[in-house]
Amino acid sequence: MKETIIGIMREIAAESGNELVQELDETTVLLESGLDSLGFAILVARLEEELGYDPFSMMEEPVYPRKLGEFLDIYRKYAR
Amino acid sequence: MMANSFSELLCGFKGEHRCLSTPQGVVTLGELMNAAYSFRSRIGLYSSSRIALCGLAPVDLLTAFLAFDGYVSAMLLLPAGVDALTTAMLIAESGCTCRVDSLHGSPEMLGVGDVEESFAVPGKETRWILATSGTTGVPKLVEHTLATLSRTVKRDRVRGAEFVWGLLYDPCRFAGLQVVLQALLSGSTLSIPKAGGVSAQIESFLSDGVNALSATPSLWRKMLMTERIGELSLRQITVGGETADQVILDALKFRFPEARIVHIYASTEAGTAFAVQDCRAGFPEEWLENDSIPVGLKVRDDGHLLIRSYKFPSGNEVAGRIDADGYLDTQDLVRIHDGRVYFLGRASGSINVGGNKVNPEEVENLIRQIDGVIDVRVFGKKSSMLGQIVAAEVVAEADIDRQELKRVLIQRCRSVLDSWQVPAFISFVQELTETAAGKRERIS
Repeated sequence: MKETIIGIMREIAAESGNELVQELDETTVLLESGLDSLGFAILVARLEEELGYDPFSMMEEPVYPRKLGEFLDIYRKYAR
Repeated sequence: MMANSFSELLCGFKGEHRCLSTPQGVVTLGELMNAAYSFRSRIGLYSSSRIALCGLAPVDLLTAFLAFDGYVSAMLLLPAGVDALTTAMLIAESGCTCRVDSLHGSPEMLGVGDVEESFAVPGKETRWILATSGTTGVPKLVEHTLATLSRTVKRDRVRGAEFVWGLLYDPCRFAGLQVVLQALLSGSTLSIPKAGGVSAQIESFLSDGVNALSATPSLWRKMLMTERIGELSLRQITVGGETADQVILDALKFRFPEARIVHIYASTEAGTAFAVQDCRAGFPEEWLENDSIPVGLKVRDDGHLLIRSYKFPSGNEVAGRIDADGYLDTQDLVRIHDGRVYFLGRASGSINVGGNKVNPEEVENLIRQIDGVIDVRVFGKKSSMLGQIVAAEVVAEADIDRQELKRVLIQRCRSVLDSWQVPAFISFVQELTETAAGKRERIS
C-alpha cells in the first residue's frame, strides 16, 4: 500500500514538474510533501482507479489527514 | 428612494471601531474613512466618471469602495493577475474613464470622453462592475449595485460585533465581496491574512481571533488538512462557490460542532440565491415553486435550475439568460431525489476544479492540434477532494506510441494551460461516444 501510494505520488510530481521532498515517511506533512492540493486530488482519484475505492467519499468519521501516516491509515482502514 | 452609499451605511459605527485587522496592524473605521476622503478629494472626479480599480491590495480596494460608491457612475473591479490585454479589453468594454492601479500614485485618465457633467457629489447609484471568474477566455462583465451585492447581507449590529470574519476570497469577486460587506455592514472585524499558503493564513486568523470563515469546499478540505485549523473557535462557517457534498459538510460539523454551518448557492450573475442550513447536501425539494421563500426556484424540463429574484444585476450577460417569466437560467443541472434537489454540474460542460472553471472545448482544441491525435473528449471526473478534475479520452492514430503521445500531450498542455486545466487522466479509446442529442457527454 505504502509503495503504491508513494509510487503514484512520484508519478504525479513528475508529470506536474513538482519535486517531492527527499525523505517520504509516515511523519511527512502532506501539504509540505511537494504535492499541492491539485496533486492530492489526482492522487486520491488515481488510487481509486488502482485500488477500487476512495475512502474520502465513504468516511464514517469525516477527518482529513495531515501526515502521510494518517493518509495511509485511512486507506488501510477502508481496504477491501 | 435613493439607496445609501457604502460610506453612508458605515456612518452609524464609531470611528474607533476596529474595522480591519491586517498583517500591518489594525485599521479603524475612522482611518479608513479618512483615507477614502482624502483619496477622493485628491484625484477630483466627476459624477459621470467610470473608474477601473486594477489589482488593488484589499485595504486599498476597500478604501476605493468607500471613496467612490455613491459618487461616481461606475467602478470596475479587476483582480490582480488579470493579464494586461484582458484588462485593456474589459476597461474598454465597460467604458471606464479613469484607471487606478494604486492609491498612492496619480490615476490614469483615459481618453474616452469624461463628460464634465458635475464634480462628484454624493447621490449617485454607482454600478459595481464585476468580471465573472467564468471559464477560460475573456471574463464577462456583470453590473451590480451596492444594493444587489448586499441583498442578503445581515445587518444585525449586536450580533455583528461578536464576529471576526477571515477573508480568504479575492475581494474583487462576488464571494469575496459578500464577506467584505457582511463584515463591514454588520460591524464585525475583517481579518485580511498575510499572503502565502493556507497555513500562513490560518496563523493570521488565529492571531486575529477569527470566528467566521467563508470558503469553497475544496479550500475547506485543504484547511482541514492543516495542523492548526482545530484551534480556530469557529462559530460561523460558510461554504460556497462549488457544490458542497455531504462529506465536507460532515467533516466540518465533526471538527467544529459549535459552529453554524451554511452552504450558499450564489453566482456573480444571480447574486446569492439561497442558503442551506441543515448540513445536508443539496436543498429541500419543497423550496421549488414555493412563494414563501424570497427567490423563486424551479427546475426546467431539461434539468436546468432557474431562479427569479427581485434584484438581478444588469448587463447583457444576465439579460440574455432571463426568460419571459423573469427566471434566470443558472445553467446548473440538478436532479431531484428523495425530496432533495442535488447539483450535478454545469450544463455548459464547464468543469469546476476546486472553484477554478475549465472550458473543455478549449482544452480539446489544444489537444487536437497535437500530431497523432485524431479526436479528443475532455470532461470532468468526480473528485472527492476538488469536486472535479479534468480527464481526457483520446482517439490516437493506430501506429503511434501511446506512452510517448501521452508525454507530449501533458507537456504541451502544461506549457499553455494553468495546472488545473491539464488533464490528470488520459485514456486512449477507439472512438468517442456522443449523447442522444449528438452532444459530447461532459459529465462522467
